[in-house]
Amino acid sequence: MNVAGKWPNSAAAAPADIAMPPAKPPFLGFGLGLRAQHYDEILTANPPIDWFEVISENYMLPGGQPLRVLDRICERYPVVMHGVSLSIASTAPPNFEYLQGLRDLAKRVQPKWVSDHLCWTGVHGKNLHDLLPIPYTNEALDHVVNRVQLVQDYLGRAIVLENVSTYVQFNNSEMTEWEFLSELSRRSGCWLLFDVNNVYVSAFNHGYDPHTFLNGIPADRVVQFHMAGHSHMGTHIIDTHDHPVCEDVWDLYVAALRRFGHVSTMIERDDNIPPLDELMVEVNRTRKIAAEVLPPLTRKTG
Amino acid sequence: MSDFARQQSDFQRGILGGDNAVLAEILDSPREKRETLFGVYRHAYGSRLVEAMRNDHKLLHAYLGDETFDEMGHAYVAAHPSQHPNLRWFSKALPDFLRANEPYSDDPVLSDLAALENALNDAFDAEDAPVLALADLAGLAPEAWADLKFRPHPSAHRLDIATNASAVWLALKGEETPPDAVVREEPCRLLIWRQDVTPMFRELGPEEAMMWDEATNGIPFGVLCAMLATYDDPDGAAARGAGYLHGWVTAGLLTSVSGGK
Repeated sequence: MNVAGKWPNSAAAAPADIAMPPAKPPFLGFGLGLRAQHYDEILTANPPIDWFEVISENYMLPGGQPLRVLDRICERYPVVMHGVSLSIASTAPPNFEYLQGLRDLAKRVQPKWVSDHLCWTGVHGKNLHDLLPIPYTNEALDHVVNRVQLVQDYLGRAIVLENVSTYVQFNNSEMTEWEFLSELSRRSGCWLLFDVNNVYVSAFNHGYDPHTFLNGIPADRVVQFHMAGHSHMGTHIIDTHDHPVCEDVWDLYVAALRRFGHVSTMIERDDNIPPLDELMVEVNRTRKIAAEVLPPLTRKTG
Repeated sequence: MSDFARQQSDFQRGILGGDNAVLAEILDSPREKRETLFGVYRHAYGSRLVEAMRNDHKLLHAYLGDETFDEMGHAYVAAHPSQHPNLRWFSKALPDFLRANEPYSDDPVLSDLAALENALNDAFDAEDAPVLALADLAGLAPEAWADLKFRPHPSAHRLDIATNASAVWLALKGEETPPDAVVREEPCRLLIWRQDVTPMFRELGPEEAMMWDEATNGIPFGVLCAMLATYDDPDGAAARGAGYLHGWVTAGLLTSVSGGK
């Protein structure tokens, strides 16, 4: 059965024994990527962060402290799961053991949504642990749509996919990245995680205007923003996620807010992790800018 | 094979093996040549995996220093491409690699140090389970003890090493100069486990190691005491067995006891 093809119009399309979330994931506010360096401070001080994103693979473990901490975080904050190894665009058969682990973790965490990247991580039984690029061809689109539908059926929920930073483009691409993402979301029912930094990085690396990318994504399919930093190499930018968000990316965030409206936003720092206070400054800035750019949210009644 | 599948094979071969066929299928950017841009993926592959190894083997890294560790790490990456979606398990085969490949095999403390770090990492995120308390044993009738069988905590693991790697580990952990590496006359029998959330290890004497190994094989306490009697003073065997057991319980090494009525 194809849950995703009927998503989001019919909740009745879901198998009876799997709880399906509402049609579109909720707006969670302004969050942060959970990192082990901040565990103690978060658990003792309950910082005013609206929600946390956790790296799924960091908790796909038998037991011990990481899962205990995660359980306590989940008691206090909304949590979303973000993976790096789904390899949704791989032409190798899916790793069903991995999917089982992901489903088990989702059962424990009860995340607001589960996300990963539009990329592949390896073929022929190998895993390169990188977010590798794809050609934007109709063949690739058909393949990824089928894979997304399979994964959504397996997990019993629509997934969220993120645009990755890329350093190369294929000469046989038949459409742009934003056309590919839009069509993928429309056909498979997956939602989109719009990584503002990644759009900036890829636009610089391939010589197009990031606003063209931004305006090419359907406004109603984006449920999350990532904000992150990068390393500029002069002729190209490498997405290292180890620096503060740069001013150009903050400017693009303003444009993203204007196009997509109230979207759950988070600061994603993967390396060179600073003290929590430093990241809170960036989280607060995402909140402040959104308050300046967007009309206040009104509570729905009735 | 589809075009898409062939492209992925070419791309992966370009990263893993340095094959340049994929360059014919990708574009120069407005500012940079494709060789350099594809090189970002080539470089990231090895450096990301070696970085993961540094995280999992902090003391082996401290022992070898940056340059030698990275050289060793890249050799391991080349010999053992990752086959698991989770980086957590990437350096599982590192002790075997260090034992089997020169120049690392010339210094057997390296393999033992890697094995000890792997065992501690495994204890850190091993399955959770209840911990047996002394109070659970307190109410047992004396005649029940002979039939008691013990279940170890899932984090508990025995490791025999040939060298003084555990002394090297302790010195490095304390940021002290490690002792010279030596192969010991007797193997070092280690017991590794997690106490609450903290990975621990300690060395066992031959007698206690035997008792632990047999206890975790399901041998009941009465038989264990008879086995202990063959190691040392037979009259003190039951007391020694009870002493070891007391230590295991207070360290959180056991999950349950069964068999005593």
